[in-house]
Amino acid sequence: MIDPQSPDVLDEAAPQKNNGPGNHDGLDELRRLLVGPEQQEIVRLQERLEERQELSPTDVGRVLPEAVRLRSRQDKKVTEALLPTVEEAIGISVRKNPQTLVDALFPVIGPAIRKAIAEALTGMVQTMNQSLEHSLSVQGLKWRLEAWRTGKSFGEVVLLHTLLYRVEQVFLIHRETGLLLQHVVAGASSIQDADMVSGMLTAIQDFVHDSFSSQQSDTLETLQVGGLTVWIEQGPQAILAGVIRGNAPQELRTIFHETLERIHLEFAAELETFEGDASVFDPTREYLEACLQFQYDESRQTGAEKKRITPARVIAALLLGAILIWGFFCLRDRWRWGNYLSRLKSEPGIIVTEAERHWWSPHSIAGLRDPLAADPQTLLTEANLNPDKIESHWEPYHSLTPQFVVTRANALLSPPPTVTFRVERNMLFAVGSAPHRWIVETRRLARVIPGVEQLNETELVDTNFSELAAIKDRVEKRVILFVLDTTGLAPGQDAELETLGAELRELYRLAPAAGRSVRVEVVGHTDKTGTEETNLQLSRERAEQVRSLLAAKLGEASTQINAVGVGSRESLREEQTEEDKSFNRSVTVRITLSDAL
Amino acid sequence: MIQKKICMLGAFAVGKTSLVKRYVESIYSDKYHTTVGVKIDKKAVTVGAQELNLLLWDIQGEDGVQKLRPSYLRGAAGYILVVDGTRRETLDTAYAIQQSAQQTVGLVPFVVVINKTDLVEQWALDDFAINELTASGWTVYRTSAKTGQHVEEAFLTLAEKIMEV
Repeated sequence: MIDPQSPDVLDEAAPQKNNGPGNHDGLDELRRLLVGPEQQEIVRLQERLEERQELSPTDVGRVLPEAVRLRSRQDKKVTEALLPTVEEAIGISVRKNPQTLVDALFPVIGPAIRKAIAEALTGMVQTMNQSLEHSLSVQGLKWRLEAWRTGKSFGEVVLLHTLLYRVEQVFLIHRETGLLLQHVVAGASSIQDADMVSGMLTAIQDFVHDSFSSQQSDTLETLQVGGLTVWIEQGPQAILAGVIRGNAPQELRTIFHETLERIHLEFAAELETFEGDASVFDPTREYLEACLQFQYDESRQTGAEKKRITPARVIAALLLGAILIWGFFCLRDRWRWGNYLSRLKSEPGIIVTEAERHWWSPHSIAGLRDPLAADPQTLLTEANLNPDKIESHWEPYHSLTPQFVVTRANALLSPPPTVTFRVERNMLFAVGSAPHRWIVETRRLARVIPGVEQLNETELVDTNFSELAAIKDRVEKRVILFVLDTTGLAPGQDAELETLGAELRELYRLAPAAGRSVRVEVVGHTDKTGTEETNLQLSRERAEQVRSLLAAKLGEASTQINAVGVGSRESLREEQTEEDKSFNRSVTVRITLSDAL
Repeated sequence: MIQKKICMLGAFAVGKTSLVKRYVESIYSDKYHTTVGVKIDKKAVTVGAQELNLLLWDIQGEDGVQKLRPSYLRGAAGYILVVDGTRRETLDTAYAIQQSAQQTVGLVPFVVVINKTDLVEQWALDDFAINELTASGWTVYRTSAKTGQHVEEAFLTLAEKIMEV
């Protein structure tokens, strides 16, 4: 442009060129004549340049923007140079009139704050959801148990479990075209065609943005599909999308963000000029691989075997065991209770009216019980039930079961061992033999026994009476023989009379105990020889003879002896022989036993 | 491996999806599917010695109601304008789409495809109209997604055009 050297060159080149001897003045004159005006102009310009060493503002103004742009491409010197000035300028501006800056920042700050608040709220809601979920679910309880077991706080445990994640794939996508720049996969994750996925991700972004968003800066940040989350980081030229299984911490987003920034910084030119050849982005692989982070629960990984005998499992096993044992005892108790009830029901004299089995409080049973029936408490023990755990209430009553009637009869009547009782249709059968007194007593008492309406004595023998009857039989078989036609006893009849007297005495003695009174009738007989009148007279005399003899022997009791003569009317034998005749010449005794008054 | 984004553009039901399906998977179905938003497919081709991955953005058809979304078009290296040979009005739509596509992505290569040549009886475009297209410098193919006629050529030509740029 402007070459300050040129006038000098011109000025000095001329004299040198024309440096011929002796021609100096002439040449000078010629030069002045020829180029004088130009020379003066050159001097004037030179002076002007020397006067004004600095460039004119107009000139600088013309070149400054271009100069700044050129230099900025080279290095950051311009930015560095301007930084203090800009900072100071902003400071002064704020001090002078904050409104200007406020106005300028307003459109930026609003969305920024909204975004920050929205993110914070999302996080909070998520945390609340999680804690609610964790505190109410089975897993939550499990984790609480784990917290209690390990001594960690519940929050820590939840974090430990929920922050398990793995970044399975990372896509680097060209924002403009949606073409895939780079793609990395962790391990053996299933892969779809990355190129198509990349295109689709971009398309979805565009779709969501076009459909729901009004703000240019709003972008789709997260896609959630089942256990997979796609985190999308937006850059001006490229998009970073990470496919994450599990719950990744927020720091991972920062890592994504930084990676994307770095790629933008290092591959700015390549991104700008991208024409479909992604090979230039191969070096970004390394950065993307750094994003393939994961976090495993180590205790879950290495402790898989150990976990089989963790305290939690031991507790669970113990609990299970306890439940089983409890169940066994419950069943056994139930079984025993059932047995006890059926036993009670089959037991005579016990009527169960109410039986309730409770889980927590003692069982209760109520009913009627004959005092003679088996003791329910004893039965309880026999049924292996704990009497303390059973509340029994038994109302006494009289059972009419024959067995109990018999028992009651035995208790009340105290029969001699020779007597047994039997009950049939409310009738008490006394079987065997018993003294007269007992029988009399029994007749009186039997009626008061509950369940007995009548006493049956058909099978009962009165021992006192049978004794009397035996003597009576013996006495009535005795025959006192007389001499023909006299009232004199035949020879040897004194002894017979003696025996008779003894027997009668015995009879009198025993009669009161059998409740009988004894009437003795001495009957005189004759043979059929002679007239009936004489015979009758003779028989009376004979009877009287014996009566008086007996009376003498028996003393006072003899008053009850009657003497009658029947002549030959009641012959003892058919008179076939003389012996028969002599047998009929006799006295016999009739005994009448009547109930004593 | 170079990748290029190619958009399928055209009115409703002209056969964009069918063409892509025929081209990529070599199958055809009579059943009509409306594409909502966009569906993306991939096809590898070789142009000269260069292997090329075409990412085919099958964009939902345009009519009066649903205007072309420029965001889907952004970054496209080329596009295929599909016209239904049995419906004249789809040609007019194609003109309109070409205009807006040019505004969005600039002067990128494109190929016009007049589809459904198998429906001879219902054919509604005269040669004059088609010649007019050719005359204005557009590359035109008469295709049938059903028979596969000229489908490969149309895509390959577009790929070549893109590589020439």
